[in-house]
Amino acid sequence: MATPDTTKKDQMQEAILYPLDWIEERSGLVGGVKYFLFRKVPGDINWFQTLGSATLTAFLVQALTGVILAMYYKPDPKDAYTSIQHITNDVFAGWLVRGMHRWGASVFIILMFMHMGRVFLFGAYKYPRELNWILGVLLLVMGMLEGFSGYLLPWDQTSYWATVVGINLNGTAPFLGPFLSQFLQGGTSINADTLARFYSIHMLMIPGAIMALIGLHLYLVIRLGVTSPPWSKEAAGTGPLAKAPMNGGRSGLTRPGPRKDGRG
Amino acid sequence: MADSRLIERRRVFQQYKADVKERGKPFFPFAMWHDTIMSFVVVVVIIGLAIVWRYTTPGNHHSTAAGWLGKLYDAPADPGTINFVPRPDWYFYFLFYLLRIFKWPESVILGTIGIPTLCLVLLLAMPFIDVRLERRLLRRPVALIAAILAVASMGVLTYRGATAKEALGVENLALVPKWAVKEGYVGKPQPIAGAKLFAVAGCMNCHTYNGAGTSYPGAPDLTAEGAKGKGIAFQIAHLKNPAAVNAGSPMPSFAGLGEARLTSLATFLEASKGKK
Repeated sequence: MATPDTTKKDQMQEAILYPLDWIEERSGLVGGVKYFLFRKVPGDINWFQTLGSATLTAFLVQALTGVILAMYYKPDPKDAYTSIQHITNDVFAGWLVRGMHRWGASVFIILMFMHMGRVFLFGAYKYPRELNWILGVLLLVMGMLEGFSGYLLPWDQTSYWATVVGINLNGTAPFLGPFLSQFLQGGTSINADTLARFYSIHMLMIPGAIMALIGLHLYLVIRLGVTSPPWSKEAAGTGPLAKAPMNGGRSGLTRPGPRKDGRG
Repeated sequence: MADSRLIERRRVFQQYKADVKERGKPFFPFAMWHDTIMSFVVVVVIIGLAIVWRYTTPGNHHSTAAGWLGKLYDAPADPGTINFVPRPDWYFYFLFYLLRIFKWPESVILGTIGIPTLCLVLLLAMPFIDVRLERRLLRRPVALIAAILAVASMGVLTYRGATAKEALGVENLALVPKWAVKEGYVGKPQPIAGAKLFAVAGCMNCHTYNGAGTSYPGAPDLTAEGAKGKGIAFQIAHLKNPAAVNAGSPMPSFAGLGEARLTSLATFLEASKGKK
């Protein structure tokens, strides 16, 4: 028979665990988070391998500051410039949010390149992580497109004319060029709709694509694991490969076991 | 051959999974702690840049003058302006400067489309070009050299793009009398008015003329433009809508200058027959 003290403790535990169990039973999310947190990574991973999560942090800063800027920014050639001035000079901490967005973009792009450099130097794009390298390159392209589409939004002389020439340069591409520049401008030249179009591309289209790509990118990181630094003495995967698995190492990958034809 | 390589790769990955299972450590808290510190540093750096951007801007922190990190904002966009500098954000400088290398109209497509597309395709294809399992850098000489070349060339292009001088309208204006002597339109008011306009209207941020100005997205040298015999009407039509007359031209429209000034510019261009 339990003392009243233990009963109280049990009830407390029950009250905390019940909602978690409820969620777990219906979604499996608790198990998923546990797996994410307590999955094993090689014991010798390095500070350079924090660049990926640093890039993610920079993206989250962009997303958060971008949402706040969108509350005040007006994507119309008549009001865009004055709304930027308003954000910078009048809105509480507006200068900080705009400054973080402006310079966060540079930090995001630098970190993407550094992260890519790390993956290259570690040879971490090799089998079976080729697909994640491709997703990363696509993310890099999307990030650069964010830089291009966001640059026009302040609607000042520098941004306007850089974008005019940028769009015209897109237009020189064979076959697709003219369609691309027409799509970007929303017409045959920069007009009143162009700014709203860039705004939509900058805050809906590309960020949506980036979030989806980041989701896939992280899924593959968790599924395939991170590599050991190649110079490490106890790098994972370099152990004695004395006995080759009978099924060619496929188990746990695409097939559950040996193939029927025995070629394996 | 290819099959044995496939088996080898799979075996190494199985070994990796076994090694991580056996000797690895959980992501939380060890690795996650490092990630958290790094993320914190990133946020602090971003906030720091925002503070420096604002508080080094002269004039009560809301002028259009440049602080350490550049202007808070430039003058409002004016499509009818006559002087502008098309300059992208700094992380596009390597592409921007690539365009200045390919100055000739026939090769400009290499700078705008050719080389960037090739680099992107190579980047995407990397895991399929380099299929060896070797990950140690010193045993991957080709990859090492390619990486050094890529970093060096992007660094140099970015630096050159950042330090590229724009043609200053005032400096160009001082050259007009010299041009008039060289090109033989001394004392003719209309070509000289056109030349002055040419000097200050931003033309020379892309075109060169008698050795002055900068060459950008393959814009041709205009020293001997008049010798081509295109005629004033063509020049005006071209200035109004370059791409309509010269398909695929990246030059922006100068229709905002108005008929009278466009006529002066066209007369000036037609009077430029090159050095005698």
